[in-house]
Amino acid sequence: MKPRAKKSLLLLLAVLLLLGAGQVQHSLNADRNRLGLTRVAALDNAPPMLAFTTVALGGFRGLISNLLWIRANDLQQDDKFFEAMQLARWITDLEPHFTQVWLFQGWNMAYNISVKFKDFPDRWRWVESGISLLRDDGLRYNPNDVLIHRELSWFFQHKMGANLDDANLYYKQQWAEEMKPYFGDNGTNFEELLQPRTPAAVQRLHDFTNQFKMDPAFAKKVDAQYGPLDWRLPEAHAIYWAAAGLDDAARFPDKVKPDDLVTLRRSIYQSMLQALHHGRLIANPFTETYSMGPNLELIPRVNAAYEEEMADEVKAGDQNMRDHMSGAHRNFLRDAVYFLYENDRVADAAKWFKYLAEQYPDKTIIENDTNSFPRNVSLDEFAIATAQIDINETSQERVTSAVQGLLTRAYLELAIGQDERYAGYKLLAGKVYHRYMSKSADKDGQNVRTPLPPFDLLNRYVLNQVLDPQQGPPYGARAVIRSQLGLAAETNAPVTPVPVPVPAAPDLTNTPAINPR
Amino acid sequence: MQAVLAIAGLTWKAAFRFRLFLVLTGLLLVAVVGLPLLIQDDGTARGFTQILLTYTLSTITGLLGLSTLWLACGTLARDIEDCQMQVLATKPVARWQIWLGKWFGIMALNAALLAIAGGGVYVLIQWRASRLPADEQAVLRNEVMVARGSAGQKNRDADIDADTERYLQAQLKASPVDDQADLAEVRKQIRERVAGTLQLVPANSAREWRIDLGHSKSYFRDQPMQLRVKFNAGQRSASGTFFGEWRVGDPKTTNYWQSEMMSLAPDTFHEFAIPANLCDDQGRLNIFFLNPNDTSLSFPLADGISVLFPEGGFALNYARGLGIILCWLALLTALGLTAASFLSFPVAAFFALGLLVVGLSSDTLAEAVGNGSVAAGNEETGVAGHSVADVFLIPAFKGVLTVLNLARSFSPIESLSGGQSIPWGELGAAFVQIVLLLGGAIALVGILLFNRRELATAQGTQ
Repeated sequence: MKPRAKKSLLLLLAVLLLLGAGQVQHSLNADRNRLGLTRVAALDNAPPMLAFTTVALGGFRGLISNLLWIRANDLQQDDKFFEAMQLARWITDLEPHFTQVWLFQGWNMAYNISVKFKDFPDRWRWVESGISLLRDDGLRYNPNDVLIHRELSWFFQHKMGANLDDANLYYKQQWAEEMKPYFGDNGTNFEELLQPRTPAAVQRLHDFTNQFKMDPAFAKKVDAQYGPLDWRLPEAHAIYWAAAGLDDAARFPDKVKPDDLVTLRRSIYQSMLQALHHGRLIANPFTETYSMGPNLELIPRVNAAYEEEMADEVKAGDQNMRDHMSGAHRNFLRDAVYFLYENDRVADAAKWFKYLAEQYPDKTIIENDTNSFPRNVSLDEFAIATAQIDINETSQERVTSAVQGLLTRAYLELAIGQDERYAGYKLLAGKVYHRYMSKSADKDGQNVRTPLPPFDLLNRYVLNQVLDPQQGPPYGARAVIRSQLGLAAETNAPVTPVPVPVPAAPDLTNTPAINPR
Repeated sequence: MQAVLAIAGLTWKAAFRFRLFLVLTGLLLVAVVGLPLLIQDDGTARGFTQILLTYTLSTITGLLGLSTLWLACGTLARDIEDCQMQVLATKPVARWQIWLGKWFGIMALNAALLAIAGGGVYVLIQWRASRLPADEQAVLRNEVMVARGSAGQKNRDADIDADTERYLQAQLKASPVDDQADLAEVRKQIRERVAGTLQLVPANSAREWRIDLGHSKSYFRDQPMQLRVKFNAGQRSASGTFFGEWRVGDPKTTNYWQSEMMSLAPDTFHEFAIPANLCDDQGRLNIFFLNPNDTSLSFPLADGISVLFPEGGFALNYARGLGIILCWLALLTALGLTAASFLSFPVAAFFALGLLVVGLSSDTLAEAVGNGSVAAGNEETGVAGHSVADVFLIPAFKGVLTVLNLARSFSPIESLSGGQSIPWGELGAAFVQIVLLLGGAIALVGILLFNRRELATAQGTQ
């Protein structure tokens, strides 16, 4: 073959091969994307400096990232945290698609570094920084990453929502203050976010979506599905980010591992359970602080979430997990009954108590009582036994103190407008009192061996303490209590002293005791 | 001396002729002004000032260090390669005077550039501090922009040794130990136990320390001080922190301060302010700690408890810090000139940079010396690595580390960013160790090599 013809043929072959390669390029790219093989994908929404750095440094990015990581580690060991934020930002900038890098850096700030500070505002700054790193940047470059959603949800659920960190109440209070302008004083107002009518409302919506990267419409959907939630509390946000992760996973199912979805779903029902326990924020106007109470409206939703999860575990064939879940479900139902009773919603408590008995007829419901099957225990007995376990004592002095504590709590609830809780605590105090007296009485129910002071005396003593200008709550709270109880307004006259109710000394002889009343 | 100064003047002129001074000044000022725009702080004024000091001073040191090496190698080697040195050598100037003249010239240049850049950082920090709210300014004044001295527990080694010996003798009476190796191990264990009891605050109990500030007392009259504490815990807590309450001063008088219950993490330094004038007449400070946890806490003897007090102003402390940096630059100048005394410019620059890299790798060398081997051990099994090269490399590393530590045992940037005092003694020690001992030895080698060098054999760029 002539050299010229040979060259032409080779050239033609090269062109054909190039065209052929071009044809499969598209499907190759799609496969790389689907299988997660693309390590240097172009960054979306990245600032020019970051886009340039990631391209210009190429393979050296990992090396520089390692060096920065070593420096961050060394500094952290020496308790030098002032560079930590900068180094975390650089490390994640260099590896923007490496999920574990985001997770570690966020977790390190929110968990490891935050507790190194003794002052709660310092801790809160680091917890917020961890959240901000994942929410503002991690999700910006990896918008569909399930694990980043999961971690973000975990920070809200565990770091802020649970009570393991001594500063958890401070976190909750700070978060509530941040969320209040958007969700209102009750933490449930979506109207203004969904339909802002004033320039100020439009500005708030703008701030909300830009600063907190949340979608009000999606939040409303989450609230409808899992709520009603108090959006000033971290649990609502834990549910939001887990639900957002599930939503993304549903849109890109081929990029998600089933185990990751399980963790998202767990995050939702665990946060719902937490919200049941302390998902209602109660503002105390007298001390300008917040306290938390159970969100009883969530009980049907939490129950449904548990049942759904148990059904899923059965479908997945994981019997161990199903058993584990049913134990957790039973505990939830016991808590729900007790909370309802405690809040004077006795009819609802009875309904759920019946449901508990139907679902778990062969399981005991009172700790350390092997005979406490639902058929053997009344609702009253269950509630009082649970309160007793909370008090954890059967001694005369401690029960006296516990009854006084329940009564004090009842009056303080009354002061802040929690009438149902007032009634519930007062009822519980009476039940605990009478249960102790009846248990301590002899067989005829006559003589009590170690009696408590009369209930009325205890009640008057506690009320006097609460209304005492020197020792009691602030004036406003005392005024509310007086008004609610129909007592005369406070004057400068000294409060009529009530003697400290002292339980009668136990009879140490074998002679029968005489009821001091 | 006149000849040395003349050569130094020529080096200055060359630096201006080649626009080096202007370019470096520009780069340094860009770093000083530009870095604060790029770096992200932790959101506090204190954090911002600390990161600003660290990053700007590190950048200045890095830039000046590299330019010094480059300039020192270039100014001598290029003069030889361009045959200008041959002209100079024929003048009535000794070779050592040429060498020293170059050194002084580069150092004067470094001093000027460091003063400009360092002054820029100082002005920037003062300016930013003046724009902060009063309370944040107070934090900066008390914790960062200050020279704080520290006082800790008195050295208890003698007590520990005496107690160790007493317990050891008692134990030997009860059960004699023949083997010397076993005896050493028993003594070590007893010593650790004795030292441990001095560090321990048992669960649900309290402990008192007395720190003698004696002669330092006059420094901090009416000035707030800080307590710096660190403890280890035998067990983990679910929250990752432990509660503790501090009381400082004399409980019998009103000169007494009590903290709220604090939530403190173990293995971490905590600093908190205590009021002024809590010392007694002899300058002693009583510190009580209440441990309400169910776990014993241990405060290390060396740095578990210390008191930080203002010892001087920031400006002078900052100047002393810059002084130590200048000492480092003096060493690099000597290194670059020595390399250029017997090598051509590119090789000298490579050689000097290589030595610098070895110097900066001292942590790796220290790790190898600590492990007793250059080979990697097994982290999981705890089995140490072993290499035949250990026989000569480990002693060599030890020697290198001893030399390097003469220069590396100073950390002015860290001290400045932590508000710690850099005493005059430390600056003096830096001058003696870095400039006179290390730099002097290197300069001596460089001058000797330069003296013996046959200048005419240089094959320069022609």
